Amino acid sequence: MQRPVSSLSLSSCVKVKLVGAGFQFTADLRHLSPQQLSKGASLTQQEALEVLQAVTREGGSDKAAGAGGSSASMTALELLQKEEEELRSIVTFSSRLDAALGGGVPIGKTTEVCGAPGVGKTQLCLQLAVDVQVPPCFGGVGGQVVYIDTEGSFVLQRAVDIAAAAVRHCSLLVEDDEQRVAMETFSVDTVLSNMFLVRCHDYVELLAELHLLPDFLSAHPRVRLLVIDSVAAPFRRLFDELLQRTRLLNGLAQQLIAMANSHEIAVVTTNQMTTRVLGAQSQLIPALGENWGHAPTIRLILQWAGSQRLAAIFKSPCHVDSTVQYQITTEGFRDIDQSDQPQSKRPRMHNDQSAAGV
Amino acid sequence: MDLQQLDLRPRVAAGVRRGERAAADVLRLSGLELQRLTGLSLSDVQQLLTAAATACRPHPPVSAILLHRGECLRLESGLRLSVGCPVLDQLLRGGLPVGGVTELSGESGAGKTQLALQLCLSVQYPAQQGGLDSGAVYICTEDSFPIRRLQQLIREQSCLRSDVPPSLISTLPFGDRVYVEHAADLDSLQVCLSRRVPLLLTRGLVRLLVIDSVAALFRCEFQAADWLERTKQMLSVSSTLHRLSQEFTTPVLCVNQVTHTCYLVSPALGLAWANQVMVRLMMRRLQATVARGDQRSALRRLEVVFAPHLARDGRDAGVWREGVRGVTD
Repeated sequence: MQRPVSSLSLSSCVKVKLVGAGFQFTADLRHLSPQQLSKGASLTQQEALEVLQAVTREGGSDKAAGAGGSSASMTALELLQKEEEELRSIVTFSSRLDAALGGGVPIGKTTEVCGAPGVGKTQLCLQLAVDVQVPPCFGGVGGQVVYIDTEGSFVLQRAVDIAAAAVRHCSLLVEDDEQRVAMETFSVDTVLSNMFLVRCHDYVELLAELHLLPDFLSAHPRVRLLVIDSVAAPFRRLFDELLQRTRLLNGLAQQLIAMANSHEIAVVTTNQMTTRVLGAQSQLIPALGENWGHAPTIRLILQWAGSQRLAAIFKSPCHVDSTVQYQITTEGFRDIDQSDQPQSKRPRMHNDQSAAGV
Repeated sequence: MDLQQLDLRPRVAAGVRRGERAAADVLRLSGLELQRLTGLSLSDVQQLLTAAATACRPHPPVSAILLHRGECLRLESGLRLSVGCPVLDQLLRGGLPVGGVTELSGESGAGKTQLALQLCLSVQYPAQQGGLDSGAVYICTEDSFPIRRLQQLIREQSCLRSDVPPSLISTLPFGDRVYVEHAADLDSLQVCLSRRVPLLLTRGLVRLLVIDSVAALFRCEFQAADWLERTKQMLSVSSTLHRLSQEFTTPVLCVNQVTHTCYLVSPALGLAWANQVMVRLMMRRLQATVARGDQRSALRRLEVVFAPHLARDGRDAGVWREGVRGVTD
């Protein structure tokens, strides 16, 4: 493989010395010893050793991905098989929303929940944080969750409510021995002990936390969900330089996608809404700008339509745009009762108008 | 934190000296920028980032069961600030949360200030009686402080709090522990929030911050065309409130006005402010009147508009000589 030396992850002065000594491609370096290289390119022994390590790391990347290295490529068929055998979505406890999302919030992808204050973003996050722990024999994932709270809106009382309701729900479903055994370890206490909570007060703390999170995820391989509630709060406070904000958000988005992939977790973030004024009309749109809109794989918008709560799939590569109604009960995020459900799909234009009217 | 204090390999530390920045600055830069600035290789830059991140992250993830057992008071103290009335406390599941901004909005005459004054007294009770055993700071922005009404409330405390032994009530120096500030414009509010309030909080003299009202300042100082500047100022105030609330685990109560948009009453200041609020309460004045003993009061209703831990619900209440009390029947 003809890979230029300049593309290796080395410090710039080392690269300049290598190219200056005539080493253009990694193939030129492969059979050298550190001593030869340090003489030939006037590098220190230490630097030469590092260069050679970088070269062998890149060469061997087909089999095992090194730290920071790219992972092996796969064919579409292999990907499909991998996705199918590992299913895997986190159910939301609202069967309509699950159906619209094709089984729930997908693992290995990033999902953003946007909505006005009070519409139920945090409720959905808490619900998912409990649902990810539902044992596999009940159709769950049996995982753990890391919950990053930036708004101070994680209230333990509410988490206990939702956990207790989920445990009660599963205990009513018990049919066979396997489920009976699973229920012995699925209690409010275990749900809480599998929930790892971080509170970040500003965006620097959030960036620091996300930088260190891969290590935590490696140490806790059962984590299947990362919740950030919300990304908007720290990044909308006291940010004068919009350019820097955009750049940091782009970096953050890449980090989240990489984490979702390499650790097989679902990443769920929340976002606030903001008003966009177009002439005489105003419209509610997700905050953080156009660029951030590309970050999540799936974008879910929660909104009010009169006294009803609607969840609309706004962006998704593999789902039809659809809108479902839901409610927030004392138990958590649920379907609306059968009787007063008018329709499950609405044309999208209709929703945009109702959002603009708020 | 300074970069020189980080635990780094000598070679990395030498590279950092070329850059000379604080740890938080390192996190704001991308890996490539850091490589350029410090002249280090990618793996060294990774090490630097990890060290900086460790320094900037105050605490590693904590399991929620520890919060539940009360072993992590930093994240969940389990404290609520009682309103001083069992009916309203039940609506709020114990009272105001101690870490977060609570907004109380309503039309004029709905009883917002009454409830705010009552909280200034109930915060002074010990934890067994639902208080936080400390004083309150009350920032007035629209009216002068209703000192006579406060005096009356203090005199009638034994009537309102029949659950508390009278001997305890008589020993509490209620009037001495309510600190009143006046802020007539945004600048003086910022000065108050950044200098005097932190001082009171640090000394443990107060554990409740009331602003009555937030809307007045933002509504009178800006014209419609200045909305961008207004939003900026609002975010700056709200982030200060957030920080104070989190840092000192102190409840913050912001009284807000309402706007009328074609038959619909909604809290003032719009979406930008609403995004910053954790608990939104609303007080309405209803048509009916209620009587109790020799007193009559217009019927009020305290409603939860949204809160992460509360259902949308409401309770009827009346404003009496001794304070705001829920009506049960």
